[in-house]
Amino acid sequence: MNIFLKELKSHRKSLIFWSIGVFLMVVSGMAKFEAYSSSGQSINEMMADIPKSLRAVLGFSDLDLSKASGYYGMLFLYLLLMATIHAAMLGATIIAKEERDKTSEFLFVKPVSRTTVITAKLLAASVNIVIFNLVTLVSSIILMGHYSHGEDVSGEIAILMAGMFILQVLFMVIGSALAAVKKKPKTAASLATGILLLTYMLSVTIDLNENMEPLKYLTPFKYFEAKNVMVGSGLDVTFVVISVVWITVLSYVTYVFYQKRDLNG
Amino acid sequence: MNVIEIKNLTKTYGKARGITDISFNVEQGEIFGFIGPNGAGKSTTIRTLLSLIYPTSGSATIFGKDCIQFAPEIKKEIGYLPSEVFYYDNMKVKDLLKYSASFYKKDCTKRIKELAEIMDLDLNKKIDDLSLGNKKKVGIVQGLLHEPKLIILDEPTSGLDPLMQQKFFDILEEENKKGATILFSSHILSEVQRLCNRVAIIKEGKIVTVEKISTLKENNYKKLKIETKAPLEKDYFQISGVNKLEVNDNITSFLFRGNINTVMKKIADIEIANLWIEEPDLEEIFMHYYEKEA
Repeated sequence: MNIFLKELKSHRKSLIFWSIGVFLMVVSGMAKFEAYSSSGQSINEMMADIPKSLRAVLGFSDLDLSKASGYYGMLFLYLLLMATIHAAMLGATIIAKEERDKTSEFLFVKPVSRTTVITAKLLAASVNIVIFNLVTLVSSIILMGHYSHGEDVSGEIAILMAGMFILQVLFMVIGSALAAVKKKPKTAASLATGILLLTYMLSVTIDLNENMEPLKYLTPFKYFEAKNVMVGSGLDVTFVVISVVWITVLSYVTYVFYQKRDLNG
Repeated sequence: MNVIEIKNLTKTYGKARGITDISFNVEQGEIFGFIGPNGAGKSTTIRTLLSLIYPTSGSATIFGKDCIQFAPEIKKEIGYLPSEVFYYDNMKVKDLLKYSASFYKKDCTKRIKELAEIMDLDLNKKIDDLSLGNKKKVGIVQGLLHEPKLIILDEPTSGLDPLMQQKFFDILEEENKKGATILFSSHILSEVQRLCNRVAIIKEGKIVTVEKISTLKENNYKKLKIETKAPLEKDYFQISGVNKLEVNDNITSFLFRGNINTVMKKIADIEIANLWIEEPDLEEIFMHYYEKEA
C-alpha cells in the first residue's frame, strides 16, 4: 500500500500536465470543427481535394468530417496516440526508474517481494491511466455536447474510450515488460514509444494499401478504429480478445522477468 | 549460531569476474569485517546476500533461511547501508525516513529522532539539497531505524568526517551490545581493525583467509632487527622460518614466522648491541596476503 501511494504521489504532477494536455487537445480540436462548420463551406468538399494517401496519414480517410461525430473520429486518433504514448512511457518508467535512479538498493532491501512491488506499481500506473481516460471522456462528452448541434454521440464516445482504455493498458504492459526484460531498463521508455510509433506507421500503411489488410492484427491502432465504432458496431470482439491475450502475456513477462533479473546498482 | 552462512557462492557476469566459490560464516553477535580492495567482490557478495542479484551457483542463508527464497521475511531484520546512497530526490528527509519505516511493522518514530539527534541530521531538509556526507547520514538512520538484528554495511564511512565516523562507530558498538550482528565491508583496514572481531579477506573474487583479527596478528611473522657489535656471518640467521634476510654491516634484519625460541637461542649466542622485535600492523599483513599471490 505504501509503495502504491508513493507511486501515485510521484506521478501526480506529470498526470496533471498530461490531463491538461489532453483537455486542450479536445478543446482545440472541437474549436477547429466549429470554425469549419460555421464557415458555411462543407468540409467534405474541401477535404475531397486532399489526396487519399494524405487523408490516411492524417487519419480521416473514411470519416464524414461534416458531422461532429466524424470530426471527433479523426480527433480520436490523436487522443489515442497521446493516451498510448503516456501509457507506454508510464509503464516503462515506473518499473525502470528504481534502477535508473539507483533507488533499487533502498526499495528492494525492504521486506517486500518483487512481485508485491510490481503489483503496487502496475496498480498505480493503472490508476493514472484510468484518470487520463476519464479526463478524456469527460472533456469529450462536454465539448461534443457543446459543438455537435444536437447530434448525441456520448454513447459512441464512451465505447471509443473503452477501446482506448484497453489499448492504454496494452501499451502500459508493453512498457513494463520491456523494462523488466531489458538489461538497461532506462532505455525501455524510448523503445516502448518506438514500438508504438512503428505500429502506428503500420496502421497508416495499411490504410494506404488494402493488400496489407491482413497485417491489421499486428498493430493495436487497427483494433478499435473510430470509423468502425462510430457506425455503431461497437468494439470488435476478436480484437478485444487479442488485446486481453497480449495484456496477460506481457503482464506475465513483466512479473517473471523482473523476479529473475539482477538489479543494476 | 551463524547469522550468515555463505556456501560456495559464485557469481559471474558474462566474462567479467564476479565472485568465485566464496564461503564463510558470520556468527551471532559478532562484528565481522569484510575487507579487500575496490572491485574485489565485496559489493557483489553483499548484493547477492540481499538478493538484489542472484548467484550463478552456491547459496547463502541468513538467520538459517535461504536468502533468496525467504528474502522478504529475512529483510524484516536486516538493515543495509549501501556504499553510495541514492534516494527519491523530491522528498524531505523526514518523509523518506517515514516511508522507509512504513515497510516495517513497528513504530520507528522514536528511534528516528534519537539517531537523527546523534548524527546531527536536519529532518526537514530536502534530500536533493544535502551534501554527500549528510546523505550518508540519512542512509545510516534509514538503515538502523527499525533496530535490525543484522546490520550490513558496504563501505559505510566514505563521506563522513572523523567526528561523525566516531559517532557512527559508537552507534554500531551500541547496537552490537544490544545483540545486533554486523557485517562490515571496507577497504580501510584501520576501521576494521578497530571494530571487528573477525575478518574475511577477499581478493579478485576469492576469499584469501578468514581469521580472528587477533590470530591474524599472532600467527603472523614478526619483524626482527638486530644490531651486533661485530659483523655477523651472512648466513648466521639462515634458519627455517626466516624470510627477507638482510645483512648490512652490523645490522641484520629479517622476518620470522614460527617458534620464536629458535631465534631467541640464536640471538643469545651472539653479542648484540640492540634488538627490535615488531608486530606488523594489519596493513602489512594485508599487503602480505596480496603480494603473496600477485
